[in-house]
Amino acid sequence: MIFFKRQLPLLITGIMGVAFALQYYIPHPVSEEAITHISKWMQIISGFALVLGLASLFQVHAVKIKRQVPGWGYSVILYLAMLVTMAVGLFWSKGETTMNGAQTGFGWIYSYTMVPLQATMFSILAFFIASAAYRAFRARTREAAVLLVAAVIVMMGRVPLGQFLLPWTWDVTQWLLNVVNSAVRRAILIGVSMGAVALSLKIILGYERSYLGGGKDQ
Amino acid sequence: MSLGFLLLLLLIPGAALAAPVPLTSPEGFRALDTPNDAGKSLSLVWKSSPGDSKARKVQIWMAEGGEAGTPREFKKVTEMPSNARYLKPGDFPWWNQPAAKGDHYVKVPSSQTFPIQDGKRYAAKLVIREGDQEVSSPVSEAISEPNWFNLAQVNNLLFVIAFTGVLLASISAARRNPHVYLRRIAGLDAVEEAIGRSTEMGRPILYLTGAGDMSDVPTIAATVILGEVAKKVARYDTTLKVPHRDPIVMAVCQEVVKEAYLEAGRPDAYKEDCNFFITGDQFSYTAAVDGIMLREKPAANFYMGSYFAESLLLTETGAGTGAIQIAGTDSDHQLPFFVTTCDYTLIGEELYAASAYLSREPVLVGTLRGQDFGKAFIMAVLILGTTLATFGVMIQSDAVNYVLDLFKDFK
Amino acid sequence: MKEFARWMVSIDRRIIFLLIALATLLPLLHPFGLPIKVSPEVRGVYDYIESLPEGSVFLLSLDFDPSSKPELEPQAIALLRHAFRKQLRVIGMTHWLPGTGLADSIFSKVATEMKRESGKDYVFLGWSPGTGSLVISMGQDLYKAFPSDYAKKPTLGMPVLEGVRNLRDVTYLISLAAGNPGIEMWYVFGKDKYRFEMGGGSTGVMAPGLYPFLRSGQINGLIGGLQGAAEYETLIGQKGTAVAGMDAQSADHFVIIALVLLCNVFYFVLRGDKGRLA
Repeated sequence: MIFFKRQLPLLITGIMGVAFALQYYIPHPVSEEAITHISKWMQIISGFALVLGLASLFQVHAVKIKRQVPGWGYSVILYLAMLVTMAVGLFWSKGETTMNGAQTGFGWIYSYTMVPLQATMFSILAFFIASAAYRAFRARTREAAVLLVAAVIVMMGRVPLGQFLLPWTWDVTQWLLNVVNSAVRRAILIGVSMGAVALSLKIILGYERSYLGGGKDQ
Repeated sequence: MSLGFLLLLLLIPGAALAAPVPLTSPEGFRALDTPNDAGKSLSLVWKSSPGDSKARKVQIWMAEGGEAGTPREFKKVTEMPSNARYLKPGDFPWWNQPAAKGDHYVKVPSSQTFPIQDGKRYAAKLVIREGDQEVSSPVSEAISEPNWFNLAQVNNLLFVIAFTGVLLASISAARRNPHVYLRRIAGLDAVEEAIGRSTEMGRPILYLTGAGDMSDVPTIAATVILGEVAKKVARYDTTLKVPHRDPIVMAVCQEVVKEAYLEAGRPDAYKEDCNFFITGDQFSYTAAVDGIMLREKPAANFYMGSYFAESLLLTETGAGTGAIQIAGTDSDHQLPFFVTTCDYTLIGEELYAASAYLSREPVLVGTLRGQDFGKAFIMAVLILGTTLATFGVMIQSDAVNYVLDLFKDFK
Repeated sequence: MKEFARWMVSIDRRIIFLLIALATLLPLLHPFGLPIKVSPEVRGVYDYIESLPEGSVFLLSLDFDPSSKPELEPQAIALLRHAFRKQLRVIGMTHWLPGTGLADSIFSKVATEMKRESGKDYVFLGWSPGTGSLVISMGQDLYKAFPSDYAKKPTLGMPVLEGVRNLRDVTYLISLAAGNPGIEMWYVFGKDKYRFEMGGGSTGVMAPGLYPFLRSGQINGLIGGLQGAAEYETLIGQKGTAVAGMDAQSADHFVIIALVLLCNVFYFVLRGDKGRLA
């Protein structure tokens, strides 16, 4: 049992990891066919992840409703919303958002609930950015002052009114974005990429086993 | 010397310059299998000529190679100006160059006009045309084959192997001595302070593991840090709340927190439902967590992992409740929001370093050292490459490319 | 003055929210209309599409969901108008499941406006699971990755896909991305392997992080946020919601700048006061 839970997954990870790392250097059609085949498998597994997510959601909220924990009413609303959307989508609209040029019920739910709700949540950011900037952009130190000046210049340079009133902010903004910003982002990108490569190597070589779940005895 | 004679002396070189270069058969023409490809393609190379110009056209003719002596049916595949398709520096690395720099190089892939199959012999010739004149090259034959290894990327493979070696050596060294010096990270010193504050105020600690799943580096770092935070929380007997977006991450975190409580000697204090799943949807999760913050008013909020647009919605709400906030992410697009709204922010690799710093696990510490060696190497290459490239331009020499090519990515 | 400064420094957030709301709403109701300056990053995308011959294959991947609609939908509409005007063969798709309906409505809307026919001038493939694996699958055989389009019509034999077997036959690809999967994923699994030319569009927040890709030539252009969309609308000569939104964005930025500067003034007044008392 331990072999299936521990050794076998590590063996599969190691072999597949090395094989597909080497695949990058092999242009032969055999290597291309292998990766296409594996990609198909990964697509199928990704599809199952959706089912897993849905099942988790149903299970978690069913427990909340059963135990009547504080806020269980919202779980009932979630259940109703999920079931109604699934019923309308599968039986009434046959999975289509439009049919013969007309919007279906499923399309209506998508366009008039999901789209405005998601857009609204994202729009809250505009207000939060303003309050965060007001609270945080204070020239307490030299570095904070540099940040403040750069932020003001870029905020002006990125909008037509700023470009109209102070044309030089456009040029400075372009320089900041293309030179300073690019350099810093590259540095962070290199560091983060090294971290990702190191983690991938550790997973392939079996040093990193947290993806198997469980505690340190893994 | 008469004026006429002087004029004649001036005119002759001028006349020589103005006269067109006579059409000659392209020198050094040969067909070969295209290097480092998946097959079904041939390449043609020939030397450049002083007469190459836009007006002079080169036609590529190809035929299926039959038995020696049997007539072959040549078909015109393409035509181009003769002053095009030169092999430039950067096209191929010096250890895998099919022709000298400055020569002509044309790749002829299989097409509807002329299909090419692997393992079959094909003949090629060039026909050079200028005005009424025409000259053909000798016929050259080649067989297309797919290649098993892309030699142009051998430098890339060697670097990967070298980095793997450095990483394994660092992990091995860390196993022998895990107390390697790691720079103090300000945010980590504040963890103890944050947990102490929560205990005094009798309010819970909220810990978020971000938007990623267990295959993401920052999520793994976040779960390691959660383990260390949970150990401290267990000792102080504070409430820990960890809402999740991913059921697999939740399952892993449940084990991590349980283990932490056991190690702290407080298995009785462990609560199964401290890790709970909300939803996978970005803003639904954010709305739910904001609700938890506003209702339960945790005294300390930890944001570790990858984040996207929800970061500011979470941190600004947390700031509004007066919580101490510590963030750690490699999502550089969200860093400005974390920096402005949180008390401490671990930037990029500091998140990975934090997991090593707190746990002192040899694998994590060793990996960090290995990465540092990698970064030091990249910095050295950047300085060397910039210096050499600049020097090469100043002295107008391609010799520096022998070193620069070693660090380039060729396809 | 000190009391006022103290009050201002710790002002109720709701007053700031109200000011932002007014700064957004008033210019939308009474636009003042200012010229839009075009950046080299956006021009890179425009010039490349302009240079494409008629019939070239253009793949537009709308990798965003409704939350990023205000910024990325105008980019998508402007790009599609340009592509249809250049008589390019357009392939549409998305890697974001919640954005599928939105992407389909964008394609339908612009196609109807430009009198383009699905199957003949463009095809919307929809969504399929796999992100990177899907791109690899498309790189080998587009018809195996997407046997049918979003409207369930078989892709094999579609006039718009004639001569297109896989991603190697795509001339230009643009990913309009609000996160991951997005531009980086398309580069790593797509352009690096299958060698098509690539451009990008993103939300304003993500755009600075993509400059390294732009500077190294991995993408040949970048449309950043609503400003980028407004620049593109200016280039194609057809103003839309992006240009209309720039007045509101200008006003918002100026309100934030004014608030930040005021806050610093009051902060220094209080700090100076504390210094004197000490």
